[in-house]
Amino acid sequence: MIGSWSLIAGVVLLLLLVAVVMKGWLAARQFEEPTRTPRELEEMETCPEGFVSKTFSRADWEFVRGLKAERIERLFQQERKRVALVWVRQTSAMIRKVMREHARAARQSHNLEFATEVSILSQFLTLMAVFGILSVAIQIAGPLWLGGLAHFAQRLSQQVRTMQESFQAGVLAKSQGSANGLAAR
Amino acid sequence: MDVPDNRAAVEGAYDDLLRRSLSKIKGDLARLIYVASTRDYNTGKYHHDGLAARFQAEIAGQALEMAHREIFHRLAECSLRELVGEVEIYVSSSRQSREEILEVWQKLEPYRVALPVDVNVAAAQLFVSNVKLALAILCRRQERQAMEEPAS
Repeated sequence: MIGSWSLIAGVVLLLLLVAVVMKGWLAARQFEEPTRTPRELEEMETCPEGFVSKTFSRADWEFVRGLKAERIERLFQQERKRVALVWVRQTSAMIRKVMREHARAARQSHNLEFATEVSILSQFLTLMAVFGILSVAIQIAGPLWLGGLAHFAQRLSQQVRTMQESFQAGVLAKSQGSANGLAAR
Repeated sequence: MDVPDNRAAVEGAYDDLLRRSLSKIKGDLARLIYVASTRDYNTGKYHHDGLAARFQAEIAGQALEMAHREIFHRLAECSLRELVGEVEIYVSSSRQSREEILEVWQKLEPYRVALPVDVNVAAAQLFVSNVKLALAILCRRQERQAMEEPAS
């Protein structure tokens, strides 16, 4: 009897978890930005430096709470959720683009370093997992409690971007060097 | 004209724009609306007669675009409390009635048209969200004032 109750409780919990994840995923899809061409993405500005601190900080929330107006508090939570989800989608799209560029550059490279590739891939997978968690957690709790995780995602995104840029620069330098060598012969 | 010359000319035009026009406008939100209004809806190009007469039309356009981005970033980065202050300055300095502006801005959201082109999507969303909140806060203040007035 106890076994069947545990099973039912387990199934209910699992269904609840699936519902929460689906809700987060659907909400994130709702805020998906319109399709942009690669050129448009390249021309688009990068996210301002203080953006994460501002969106995920409690300073504005304290101001709104001080107004003692439930309607405005609800509007604030709804709006900040929307902004935070747009940031998650945008940053995750940017990282996927960086990885595509990396894959292109890696195909041209003749001496890939296994350790570097593993490091980039593990950072990419970590980021994708963090973005997934952030999407769901923002839906459930709002962005105000997730500043630490968002800052971590931002730092890691920057790291992956920098690694890819230096990797691409290295590949370019090597291919130019070998082209010059061939021309000299 | 080569690139350094062009940049110097744009900076000259930008300084001129700040000194002659933008410094006379009260508040960054009003400045943003003003600069955005010099942009053609169809071409996305900026035009300002006075500035184009003193500099070339293209230089003037680039200076206006530069000013537009700078003002937008200042507003996107300010706190919600500061943005409420900006909307308050804009509403108080307008000739239309306060109630009318607040109502129309909430319905039509004209501030969405005041965004520079290709600005970061998340930053644009934060700005739009904060203006929406600032308008709601000012409306509430107005409602409370209206409720307190008959009592006093």
